[in-house]
Amino acid sequence: MMVCTMTITEKSSRETQQRGATGQKFRLGDHWRGYRAHHRATLSSSVRKMLREPVQTLMTVLVIAIALALPSAMLLALNNVQTIGGNLESSSQITVFVAKPANSAAVDGLALQLEGLEGVISVTYVSAEQALEEFKALSGFGMALRYLDENPLPAVFLVQPLPSGEAGVSQVGKLITSIEELESVEDVQVDMLWIQRLNAITQIGEKLVLAISIALGIGVLLIVGNTIRLAIQGRQEEIIVVKLVGGTDAYVRRPFLYTGTLLGLFGAIIASLILIACVIWVGRSVEVLASLYQSQFELVGPGLSGILALCAIGAMTGLIGAWVAVMQHLRKIEPK
Amino acid sequence: MIRFDNLSKRYPGGLEALSNVNFELDAGEMAFLTGPSGAGKSTLLKLLMLIERPTSGTLLINGKNLNRLSRSAIPTYRRQIGVVFQNHQLLTDRTVFDNVALPLQISGYPASETGRRVRAALDGVGLLDKETHNPLTLSGGEQQRVGIARAVVHKPKILIADEPTGNLDPKLSAEIMAMFRRFQSVGVTVLIATHDINLINTMDERIMHIENGMIADDGVHHDHH
Ligand SMILES: Nc1ncnc2c1ncn2[C@@H]1O[C@H](COP(=O)(O)OP(=O)(O)OP(=O)(O)O)[C@@H](O)[C@H]1O
Ligand SMILES: [Mg+2]
Repeated sequence: MMVCTMTITEKSSRETQQRGATGQKFRLGDHWRGYRAHHRATLSSSVRKMLREPVQTLMTVLVIAIALALPSAMLLALNNVQTIGGNLESSSQITVFVAKPANSAAVDGLALQLEGLEGVISVTYVSAEQALEEFKALSGFGMALRYLDENPLPAVFLVQPLPSGEAGVSQVGKLITSIEELESVEDVQVDMLWIQRLNAITQIGEKLVLAISIALGIGVLLIVGNTIRLAIQGRQEEIIVVKLVGGTDAYVRRPFLYTGTLLGLFGAIIASLILIACVIWVGRSVEVLASLYQSQFELVGPGLSGILALCAIGAMTGLIGAWVAVMQHLRKIEPK
Repeated sequence: MIRFDNLSKRYPGGLEALSNVNFELDAGEMAFLTGPSGAGKSTLLKLLMLIERPTSGTLLINGKNLNRLSRSAIPTYRRQIGVVFQNHQLLTDRTVFDNVALPLQISGYPASETGRRVRAALDGVGLLDKETHNPLTLSGGEQQRVGIARAVVHKPKILIADEPTGNLDPKLSAEIMAMFRRFQSVGVTVLIATHDINLINTMDERIMHIENGMIADDGVHHDHH
């Protein structure tokens, strides 16, 4: 009998095979190149298989795109609302009414005290006379006011607090309390309530976006999973042959993982296009609105990093969806 | 090379398809497996391919016990075997070339080496001019030969065939058997299950006759015609 070396381990078996068969060595570099070529071939054949059923693929990709675009658009809207809130918050002033009667020494003392408080950027004094002049000019009651014996308006300090994002609301609250405790202060007014409301609403909005993102993310997983399941069923025969001639599990599942990732990626790219189109479309109206308010506000888009993040999330979700389907269905397909 | 040691196989809920099978096949040896339908021929080959696992007994390939082979080691094991299926199982979504190239692609062979070997294998079965065809456009005999080319393209040590001449005319059957013999002559161990008694009786090779899951007869048949 012929002496034959046959081993169960991969490397040595291939070496003996090679040497025994052709006298050639199978170099590691060749193997690596072959492996990379196989990945490229798998990728391009995945794309070709997707294009072979264009309607089916387009439907899947569009559904994924919508499922990704919806939460992204909501997140974007939320970001913009928060930007508006931030802008307005930083422009909110605290009006401090000076108690009457107050002499100039008391006013100067109060000015110094206000400037010394933490979180104050600037303090502007508006005397009772200035306030009256302004009121006359703006109200058109100039003539009527002339008949008053006494200036009914108090002197005020306009205090500009430090803008500081979300934490600002409570800090401004503290500032107000300390101003109220000062001598010669009659009253403190600030339109804070609506800022607090806005913050509360955006917090609810964030939670809502998170919940919808999770729900739609699961939706994308299921869509991709189902598509891959159908693809596996359609290629059952091929899978069996590949397994019979020694294809590993990794080899068999690779094309399906590529397909899932590509579906997610294409969905994300279309979602990005939808998002950009929306930003441009809504942005025009926002510009008009902002100009009516004499505001510099501009709609903030997703940005390159946002789009890249969306594509990464789409591809990842597609990969995970495909992986779940592959794990469920591929093992069951064995040669009989 | 191949050794069955007291091997039995019982399918779930069925009778014993194989009971206490003992035989040994040396490296470079050729043998035929015959017997009536349902005797257990395909089962025996499936055990060799690790498509089925034995209920009891051991199966040794080159001294290694296949029972101890884990699921993840199966692909590597199968790459050392060439197999020709009863219903040739060619993939119709690709060319003849790509069908034959499959075992090489799976092992990560570089493209140039793959091309060279696929053409050599196709040349060996006389189908070099059909490499760009779809298998569907070939005759039954040609398809069978493509299946053989795929089974030998990676130069396996063992070649297994389950009724490779199933629906072929006598002339083509003889040609295909001659092809298997050529592989045996270069050192490949060949095991073929077939119903074609007339043909193998003329071949002067070892014949194992299986009946009811047991080897009833094992030896070289000398043709007296
Ligand atoms: N997957 C299976 N599950 C249950 N029983 C099976 C299975 N495969 C085969 N059998 C049974 O095992 C026995 C042997 O079958 P096997 O396919 O090995 O026969 P065979 O010799 O190849 O027959 P044929 O010449 O018709 O191909 C038969 O009784 C068959 O019914
Ligand atoms: Mg059979």
